[in-house]
Amino acid sequence: MYLTHINIFSKVKIISAFTTLLILIVFQSIGIGQTITLKGKTVSTKSKQPIEGVLIKLSTKQNGKTLTTVSDIKGEYNFKNISVGEYKLKTKCIGYNEYEKHIELKGSETQTIEIVLTEIVTNLEDVSVFSKLNQESDRASRLNEKNATNIINVVSAKAMERSPDINAANVLQRISGVTLQKSSSADEAYAIIRGLEPRYNNTLINGVKITSPDDKARYVSLDIIPSDLLQKIEISKTLLPEMEGDAIGGTVNLIMKEAPDSLLLKATGSIGYPQIFFDRKFTTFSKSDIQKKSYFESHGSGAVASGTDFSRSNLDFKEVNAPVTCTAGITFGSRFLKNKLGIIIADNYQNQYFGSNSPYNQINPNPTTSVPEIDEAHNRTFSTQQLNNGLSTNMDYIINDKNKIVVTNVLLYSFLAQARVDIDTAYVGGNGGRTVPGTGPVTNDHTSITNFEWLENLKISGKHILNKHFYLDWAGVYSSSTRKSPDRADLSINSKIDSIHSTNNINGPYTFRQTPWYFDGITRSWQHNEDKDYNGIINLTYKLKVNENPWEIKVGGLYRQKDRANHQDDYNLKPSPNADGSKPFFTNIYTARWYVFNPSGSGNYNPNNYTAHENIIAGYAQIKIMLHRLDIFGGLRIENTDEGFNINVPSLTQINSDAIVYTDLLPSVLLKYKIDSRNNLRVSYFKSLARPNYYELVPYGIPSQTSTTSQTGNPYLKHTIADNFDIRYEFFPKDEDELLVGMFYKKLQNPIENVLLISGRFSDYVQPQNAGGDATVIGGELAYTKFYGKFGLSGNYTYIYSNVKTPKNYVDPLNNLNNGIKMQNRPLQGQTDNTLNVSLLYRNTKKSLFVQLAYQYLGKELTDAYPYYGADFYRSPQSYLSLSAEKGITKHFIAFGKFNNLLNSKTTNSINGLPYIGDTFLPNYSIGARFNL
Amino acid sequence: MKKNLFSIPALAIALATTVVSCKKDSTTTSTGNIPASHPITSDTISGFVKGTLLSGKTYYITGDVTVKPGDTLSAQSGANVVVSDGHQVLVQGTLYLVGTQSNPVVFNSKSGKSDTLNGWDGFICDSAQSVNIQWTKIINAGGPDASGSPTKSIEVKAPIPVTITDSWIVNGQDDQLALQNGAKLTILRNTIQSSGSNDGEAINIKSGCTGVVAYNVIYNQAGSGIKMETSTTAGIAQTKIDVFNNTIVSIGWRRGLAEPGRAISVDKNAVANIYNNIFANNYQDLEVFTGADTINTKYGNNLFFASQATFGTADTSGSGKVNITLASNFYPGDGVGKKQASDLVGVDPLFVSFDNQFLHPNGYANNNNFNLSASSPAKGKGNTTFTLLNAGIATPNTDLGAYPTDGSGNKH
Repeated sequence: MYLTHINIFSKVKIISAFTTLLILIVFQSIGIGQTITLKGKTVSTKSKQPIEGVLIKLSTKQNGKTLTTVSDIKGEYNFKNISVGEYKLKTKCIGYNEYEKHIELKGSETQTIEIVLTEIVTNLEDVSVFSKLNQESDRASRLNEKNATNIINVVSAKAMERSPDINAANVLQRISGVTLQKSSSADEAYAIIRGLEPRYNNTLINGVKITSPDDKARYVSLDIIPSDLLQKIEISKTLLPEMEGDAIGGTVNLIMKEAPDSLLLKATGSIGYPQIFFDRKFTTFSKSDIQKKSYFESHGSGAVASGTDFSRSNLDFKEVNAPVTCTAGITFGSRFLKNKLGIIIADNYQNQYFGSNSPYNQINPNPTTSVPEIDEAHNRTFSTQQLNNGLSTNMDYIINDKNKIVVTNVLLYSFLAQARVDIDTAYVGGNGGRTVPGTGPVTNDHTSITNFEWLENLKISGKHILNKHFYLDWAGVYSSSTRKSPDRADLSINSKIDSIHSTNNINGPYTFRQTPWYFDGITRSWQHNEDKDYNGIINLTYKLKVNENPWEIKVGGLYRQKDRANHQDDYNLKPSPNADGSKPFFTNIYTARWYVFNPSGSGNYNPNNYTAHENIIAGYAQIKIMLHRLDIFGGLRIENTDEGFNINVPSLTQINSDAIVYTDLLPSVLLKYKIDSRNNLRVSYFKSLARPNYYELVPYGIPSQTSTTSQTGNPYLKHTIADNFDIRYEFFPKDEDELLVGMFYKKLQNPIENVLLISGRFSDYVQPQNAGGDATVIGGELAYTKFYGKFGLSGNYTYIYSNVKTPKNYVDPLNNLNNGIKMQNRPLQGQTDNTLNVSLLYRNTKKSLFVQLAYQYLGKELTDAYPYYGADFYRSPQSYLSLSAEKGITKHFIAFGKFNNLLNSKTTNSINGLPYIGDTFLPNYSIGARFNL
Repeated sequence: MKKNLFSIPALAIALATTVVSCKKDSTTTSTGNIPASHPITSDTISGFVKGTLLSGKTYYITGDVTVKPGDTLSAQSGANVVVSDGHQVLVQGTLYLVGTQSNPVVFNSKSGKSDTLNGWDGFICDSAQSVNIQWTKIINAGGPDASGSPTKSIEVKAPIPVTITDSWIVNGQDDQLALQNGAKLTILRNTIQSSGSNDGEAINIKSGCTGVVAYNVIYNQAGSGIKMETSTTAGIAQTKIDVFNNTIVSIGWRRGLAEPGRAISVDKNAVANIYNNIFANNYQDLEVFTGADTINTKYGNNLFFASQATFGTADTSGSGKVNITLASNFYPGDGVGKKQASDLVGVDPLFVSFDNQFLHPNGYANNNNFNLSASSPAKGKGNTTFTLLNAGIATPNTDLGAYPTDGSGNKH
């Protein structure tokens, strides 16, 4: 049946995936002649657990044709409408011995054959370069972890599907040693691996670095990547010389789905609603009048904008009921041209509405004692719409047994619309503070933001077996990211509430008096950036056998050229004074009158207008020596970096460019001692680096969007180098069960930390600096998965201690005199001490029911450093509880539900007991259905 | 201020001669004029500049200019500089502008205006080595900076000597003098007026500056007159200023009632002596915030005046008018400053002429004469015995305000 179809389609060029699909479905339902059905189950010898993803071939001598299928979640397979006769039943599945049986099918009834497979202990690579294991299964993940040369953690597509998570960010935080750095507005999420900030980690798609749509940093917010596009996520915590060296915490490798062995069609859809919008309204604004380009860009240099050139409707905020969140996805995959060509196309669409209530207190040192105190209280709410669409295409063409070409394209689109409402009241400060609660200057800021992001990653790669000894693989990758933020508009109005005391006693009776609301001005900002990478990668492997053990020598290199450009144009709309010169009151946005203070825009010398480059040339040589029980792996990588920026400055004496060139030698040694077939002990050392973010080198201040403290770069920033030591014991009893216990030690030279500058030219600036001393990170990790019949327990625990010595201003508490600089030991920014993930799983394959209850505990974390000795900002410990469940309704349909943040965990950040930031997100519910062909 | 600019010609000439001659010591004079150091001969200036702007010559600054570290830009009396709108003078070396009463140095914008589209970008002396400005008119600065915000007329962020005397700083868009990071200040006998559309202080002093601010006339400013604080993030040095004998009139209204402009405010660990000042028709007058160094901040002998009991502004439709009881704003209720026995409260200082107005637009000319009339109650009420925080720069007078009757004050 299948073959017939494939033959037909090999002649017809692939018109479109979906037409093909429809025809296939139609054909399949037509039966031919006297036929029976063969079905059965694939199970493992040890546990009798079903094995998913076993490739089963049924061939007959009669016409030499072969039918193939793959076992499903329950390990079940079936061949329908086959004619009676003699057959050869053969299976292939990585990690299991091959199974072959001669069978004779007769009669007219369905026949059942159970296929029992025995686990084998061999290295993945040794089986065959091209043989496939269903990489989407948990078992594949365990095998990957077990057999990998380095220390990795893997999350399978299946695990993601069944988890409460819908994007890569949520999935990641369930991995041992990984936490997430999230913003108050919940629209950004970056991985913190082993307590090391995003800057110390890198993100790959299909093994290659991706560009960033961020205007300043090099990382990618992982919440724009739908988990349904992923085959698996691999976190490498130790590096091999063949891997890029800029990961100290680890590497996040997002591996997109690969073409399946047989026809695959999946569709999924869900709807959801966040609790927060049951409780409050969703703030929204019109996007229809938003101009895509700034006046400067659309009218050219020298054009003069007037007040009427700026729209009003995107500052007209309305409170509405939030629409329903929905997600939809479809995946189609099959093989064509006599199985030579494999294609998979996956598209995932997510339209989410979420929000947070995030009070924020501006904290500054008391000018006398330098003890932190609250200057201003901000009441902030965020209402966000985020629409993600991810399209992943993977085509592989197997030329012959020895040559294979793969083309992968990942296109991620994300649209974000966010309304921010920030009402702040000053307690102290130059504009007067509060006398009694309820008084003080009040500023009401409404901000409308729209962001469009595109990220594309096109990879063409090939694998060639040149002869018995030589293997060659190569890849050419083009990656580009673009973000456009047209007309980020901020409206500010202010008022002041005073207390009128009827007596001279400040504690005596009083009444309130409030001034009118004044129109305090509008800022408009157009920003866009582009980041482009061209990569070339080549690896040559020499394989040999020494005493029947496979040895391997590998050399290779990488060249990457990166260019990025950021453009920003800001306009300052000032309120038009009344005829007598007084400031106008504010009634609504449509009656507000303004003039453009900088009608030519700020394009020329805006410090946000920069171009940056980063060119990397890397080469490596590595050897893998396998002895009876010991694998020795080692090598050296050399990375040459050439990075810098260009910027326009008003004076030639100001730094306008930076070119930094350096070369790092990154040795790596890994030992794997195979205690027995199920136990490994690994010890490793590697050296790695972290490069500064592009914009961190630019030495000009930019006012912060969220606080009174501005940021400035540091052209003399050095890259961080780290020595990393790891030890891990692994136990893989059977199937998905595992126990991993590890410890690590890292020493970071020139760690980069954000430091608040105290004196000198920029008195109110935060600047990234190389911390005075080395930083150390020590930690332990434990990961455990065990199934007891239908119940499973999966969890991991990480403890991390880090220490960096930083110079802080010391004010003597006895006399309030500044006693110069005192070194303070503290954890690294972004590091959580205790992280615990526990999932309770229930799976009933017979009833197709899976339930997962996931709990996460995050210990306290230093989020920001305080400039004075003795205090820092910490996020309090928090717990999260999520529930997900799925149930097979029919053979093809699965219903599922995902319920997140059930404990309504709040994020609380404080210093010396003073609240700094508190975020409330409230629970989030969604339900949906999946269709599997 | 319509005053006879030739009142002390002899002194002016002497001063000018001193300035010119001290550029280069010389024992022989041959044919008359001593050449200026590096005379600037080109009419148009852009890029890098050093040397002397010559007396009587008009220069055009056509682009951003920089005075390099170690270089000096000086101006002889009567040098006239026209700066193209939107361009700045970045000083990393020494700024030395010395005019005379009869022949001041002038820096003005090309358009002669400072508002939307117009205004030059002022002196950015963030990292200068010293700033000395005497008898100089700095007009119409405040054009937009790189991010679109208004610039300051003179900005200093370094612990350097800053002398600004007998000068006019008129019609800017933001702070007129923004002085930070330990600058050592001599701010005497200046006229600072009519700046800021809806924000900006006349003299904004922060983070560890020390010195004297005296005998200045501050008129019709959008925000505050003299604001002193130690930056919240600095915490190292205390701002310590003697503020006396200033006349501060009709300020603080254009910023709106929600952000009060004060004649003088002391906040966040700053310490000040505030004596012998005259305040008239301001939104708020003397504010000592709870955050100030209230123990060491001393004040008294100040005159508070409002020409009517209440004043309020309304929107264009005339609605929403809030009348402010002016007497309650002499020492505003949200501060801890209290009326002193030596203060003259609610007393008309009897200026030579005053229009009794509260609010004027940005750039409005001053048609008043704040000299004291013969019968002024401000005479003889000054405190000359308080202990200066910064001795040796100037001394207080027995009369109040910028124009003591002995003529030792403001010369404008």
